Amino acid sequence: MIMSKLFKKTLLIIIVLFAVVAVTTLLSSGWNLYNGLVAEYTSKGTAIARSIASSSVETLLNRDAATIQSMIDQFTEIAGVSYVFVVDAQGEIVSHTFVPNVPNEIAEIKLSKNAVPTDIEIGNGKYIDISAPIVEGAVGFVHVGMDKGLIMSQLESSMMRQFYLLSVIFIISIAAAYFFVNRVSQPLNELAEYSRRVAQHDFSHSIEIKSKDEVGLLAGTMQSMASDLSEVFDRYERALKDAVVELQSTLAYLTAVIDHMADGLLVSDIDGIITHVNPAMSSMFNMRENDLIGKYCGDLFGEGLAAIVQKSRYNPEEVYTVEIPLVGGRTGKAVAAGVLQDYFPLEGPEKGIGAVVLVRDITAEKEVDRMKTDFISTVSHELRTPLTSVKGFTEIIKKKLEEDIFAQVKSADGRPARAIKRVRDNINIILSESERLTSLIDDLLDVAKLEAGKIQWRTELVSVADVIERAHKATSALFEKKGLAFIKDVEPDLPPVVGDRDKLIQVVINLLSNSVKFTENGSVTCMARSDSNEIQVRVADTGSGIADTDRQAVFEKFKQVGDTLTDKPKGTGLGLPICRQIIAHHGGRIWVESELGRGSTFIFTLPKAEAPAAREEAYIINKETITHA
Amino acid sequence: MPKVLIVDDEPLIRTLLEQSLEEFAEHGVAILTAENGLEAVEIIERERPELVFLDVMMPKMNGFEVCDMVKKQLQMKDICIIMLTAKGQEQDRIKAEDSGIDFYITKPFSIREVIEKVTEILKIKL
Repeated sequence: MIMSKLFKKTLLIIIVLFAVVAVTTLLSSGWNLYNGLVAEYTSKGTAIARSIASSSVETLLNRDAATIQSMIDQFTEIAGVSYVFVVDAQGEIVSHTFVPNVPNEIAEIKLSKNAVPTDIEIGNGKYIDISAPIVEGAVGFVHVGMDKGLIMSQLESSMMRQFYLLSVIFIISIAAAYFFVNRVSQPLNELAEYSRRVAQHDFSHSIEIKSKDEVGLLAGTMQSMASDLSEVFDRYERALKDAVVELQSTLAYLTAVIDHMADGLLVSDIDGIITHVNPAMSSMFNMRENDLIGKYCGDLFGEGLAAIVQKSRYNPEEVYTVEIPLVGGRTGKAVAAGVLQDYFPLEGPEKGIGAVVLVRDITAEKEVDRMKTDFISTVSHELRTPLTSVKGFTEIIKKKLEEDIFAQVKSADGRPARAIKRVRDNINIILSESERLTSLIDDLLDVAKLEAGKIQWRTELVSVADVIERAHKATSALFEKKGLAFIKDVEPDLPPVVGDRDKLIQVVINLLSNSVKFTENGSVTCMARSDSNEIQVRVADTGSGIADTDRQAVFEKFKQVGDTLTDKPKGTGLGLPICRQIIAHHGGRIWVESELGRGSTFIFTLPKAEAPAAREEAYIINKETITHA
Repeated sequence: MPKVLIVDDEPLIRTLLEQSLEEFAEHGVAILTAENGLEAVEIIERERPELVFLDVMMPKMNGFEVCDMVKKQLQMKDICIIMLTAKGQEQDRIKAEDSGIDFYITKPFSIREVIEKVTEILKIKL
């Protein structure tokens, strides 16, 4: 059995304590015994000396040495008496018991008249010399030598006995201590082992301590604490496991969603370093996920993507798009949005902590777009050839009729005159209708190109006053034909706008000719005003106006308000949608304010050229779109 | 006598242009026709016309290729070429200018426009 530390300590303390007590006891009892024996021997010696002194007066006076000798010889037989000698008044040793001679040491004390016992050493022996005067010392002195060696041997044997006794007591008490300490430390050991296990969250063991003392109480408390702990741990472990499972399933769900997205997903940090991509993204660029993570997105996907990532970092609330090339000549549309840091109220651009970019393969859409545009181009081209024939031959017919036939008809009345008028009118109808057909085809082509982004836009400083002036000139014939007044109200010193002059002129021409078309009498007013950061152009007429329900429809393709069965359509229905596209391209808005029967006002806005940065940015993105289109 | 070549794969357009230029023919202008690019180049090389009406989309050799061949490879820079093109085809126009086209007329064109142009180029007063 392993001795517990507690037991070892206790045992050591007991041994030390016992040793101290034993040594102290031994020493003090030895000292007492020694003193007792010395006193006893001294008093015995004194009694002997006095007895000899009182009985030897006469003998000494008579100088009967032989008698004295025989007397003192008797005393040497008494235990402890080592020697006896008698000195006379002159200090001569009269008689003694020394064999064979008086030792030299005696000569030193033989004259001592002191009655106090004196320690002397003779040879190797130690003695107590006790003297008694004979008749006050007048006759002499008796000296008795008590053997101190006897005292020592008696003391020794007594001490040895005591030591043996103490040793037995010591062994017994160590055994007893061992037994007791063991009894106390055994459950403590168990308790210690148990608590160690509990500390390691091992609740599988229990302890069997049934004693009623503090240890038993401690064991019971500990066990109940352990069972509580075990329960708490179990509960937390279960809750943790549930939470982990839930988290894992949520993560798995999110990962599955992201991984199975048809669109490519890229997440980058604020520096444009890629932190996450989904498989669709990897396959779009034919790269492995590991080759993408940690790289700068501009290096892999070009500056177009890097630029929108950077922009969304600074404007996390905005969404930016750009077309980017994918592998295999495919085209992708990347949409970038900033990732906002909601947890910390950071200021400035640091609010965005990165960007999420979705890339959609729009090759098919682009292809459809291209096919649509091609189709429209082809159709319009194919339409042009017969139209050219119709128009051209009609013109030739008209020319021939006018020059060679009508000129020959002299009688300008009756049936031939009516016939000539009818033929002339009808030919003119064919010609004007073929003009209409031509402009329809032209508009159709314009719409197709605008929608396909195939227009090459000019970017130049444009004066709005100049645009209005040119548009007025182009439409002046229409005004004259209908006898309508044109009122121009342009604010002087209008700031310029940035855009495509010809396209803007096309918009104003369209609005002016529309107004003329739907106004029978009155005037058309063209007004231009500078606003806080944009220029507003209004084209107001005094015509038929547009009903509430039709106001939005006028900007839709092939829509003309009114009943197309009863009202003769005037135009292609594509003019306003084209205008809307052109204005939208310039970053402006177009709308109509009107009341049925009280005229209409078409209004469009254009941003001033004063914010060059914003314009340039829009231009770059558009350029990008065109480049990849 | 000045010569005018009409190149178009559409017979009706050729006829239309021939009829439009009838009066010039009466004034001694020779009207030649070709129905594709290759034929056009052959005739141009052989006849060296002063003016060519050239369609863009044609089989065998398109209008731009014909123009390029005539102006650059055959070095016949004094021949005036009028391209018959569709309106609004800006990219085509840029190509047309690159290949040395002198004028372009958009289809559908007006006869008056054609007559005015020919009068101007051939300097013939009808």
